[in-house]
Amino acid sequence: MIPFSPDVFFALFEEYNLAIWPAQLVAYGLGLLVLALVFRPSRAASAVIGAILTAFWLWAGLVYHWYFFAPINFAAPVFAALFGLQALLFFWRFLIRVDMTFAFRRDVTGAAGLTLMVLALAVFPLFEIAAGHAWPQSASFGLTPAPTVLFSFGAILLARPRIPLLVLVIPFLWTMIGTATAWAVGIPENMLLPAAALLSLIVIIRQRRRMA
Amino acid sequence: MTRKRHSIFQPTRRVVLGGVASAGVAAAAGPLLPGLSLAAPAARLTRTIPSTGRTMPAIGMGTWITFNVGASRKLRDARLKVLQTFFDMGGGMVDSSPMYGSSEEVVGHCLARIENDQTLFSATKVWTMSEAMGKRQMKASAELWGLETFDLMQIHNLLDWETHLRTLRSWKERGRFRHIGITTSHGRRHDDLAEIMRTEPLDFVQLTYNVLDREVEARLLPLAADKGIAVIINRPFRRGALFGKFERQPLPAWAEEAGISNWAEFFLKFIISHPAVTCAIPATSKVEHMRENMDALKGPMPDAAMRLRMVDYVESL
Repeated sequence: MIPFSPDVFFALFEEYNLAIWPAQLVAYGLGLLVLALVFRPSRAASAVIGAILTAFWLWAGLVYHWYFFAPINFAAPVFAALFGLQALLFFWRFLIRVDMTFAFRRDVTGAAGLTLMVLALAVFPLFEIAAGHAWPQSASFGLTPAPTVLFSFGAILLARPRIPLLVLVIPFLWTMIGTATAWAVGIPENMLLPAAALLSLIVIIRQRRRMA
Repeated sequence: MTRKRHSIFQPTRRVVLGGVASAGVAAAAGPLLPGLSLAAPAARLTRTIPSTGRTMPAIGMGTWITFNVGASRKLRDARLKVLQTFFDMGGGMVDSSPMYGSSEEVVGHCLARIENDQTLFSATKVWTMSEAMGKRQMKASAELWGLETFDLMQIHNLLDWETHLRTLRSWKERGRFRHIGITTSHGRRHDDLAEIMRTEPLDFVQLTYNVLDREVEARLLPLAADKGIAVIINRPFRRGALFGKFERQPLPAWAEEAGISNWAEFFLKFIISHPAVTCAIPATSKVEHMRENMDALKGPMPDAAMRLRMVDYVESL
């Protein structure tokens, strides 16, 4: 039961993007910083990555869902709460319980994580253009749900010594919500989300089996 | 926002000149007549609200999805043209709900910019739990529409209906609403709705009915007629799905004889020609579709035999 039409959804993106400009540049820069930091793993770098992920989810929850999306979708306040909760989980997992590092390694898990991060930063925008949703009607990296969730899947897969499951619950839940919305509204680029979730699931199962 | 007051109890010149009262009577008598029930091609079909005797055009306008356009000026301007066309063609009921996102706000935005909305029959809903939240929500709706009174306040999908019905009755007595009602859609909770219709005094019910979803013909529509409750029909096109299913098919050869020139008229005339139906509320975001919808008010209406023929035809496709 989606209460808006595709043209309204993309008009909202346009309004949102123009209103928050140039936050998109800052978010993209932070995404590139995360990408660089996973190649120089340290506790401090991981805290920075955790803080950036926290900021992305908090922004998407408060600014996108709560402020911009809520007027056209009665479910948006619930989504805002979900994103806020995920921000809290990131904050707790990577900034309070500092027992993990984000690190790229040349293995299947590392390749999957890096692939998803690059997908979110570079490939997702190309999919959007191909689908006819170019700027300013595009989903901004780090500031809207789909690319943020995609990027988060990638980053979480790079967490060592093993992938923390608790911080994956809401991204998986959002994948279901986002995919259903994408299907109903017609956002083909968002079909990258279930693909990312499936890849993450396979990688997690593989890692757990190896560690067992 | 400009504050406006509408008195729908004062019939406007447009309505009187439409010759619609006679049309309504003729349509209501449809099943008794052997052919088509309306002869005057310029007449627009109106129906009477049993509890107050007020007449209204048998086609209104829904706002689910179509008027939920947020703050986009471009899209608001486009909806303004749709609403203007609705009133230009003699439209009356505009139905919305707090559940429909920004629809109420957009309707209010458009009404504040329209001069010819004297025939407006404002209908919205309460959609929340608890008495206090219901009251707050209904006051907010009035603000959003720019109105002090609503012609119709409904309880959306029976949500917390016992609580809200008390408020609705009390506020109706105080003149804040002219009619009260209760809604359902998608064929849900018909047993509960039937029980409420039997036991509670209501002016209106709103439910789903179209040429394919005809469950209400057996029980709810006769019950409404028996209890003197006006009936609003939602999802007349199954949210557009009927067009997807049939619009590539030809209209039947006898369509022209029935005053039907497109599928929208076919679907709408089928609904509003039912004697128990007061108003259908198709939603659209396009001016040309609004024109097609409103054209269904004109020309001959199907009688009982023709209605069976319409059902047979769509079921044969």
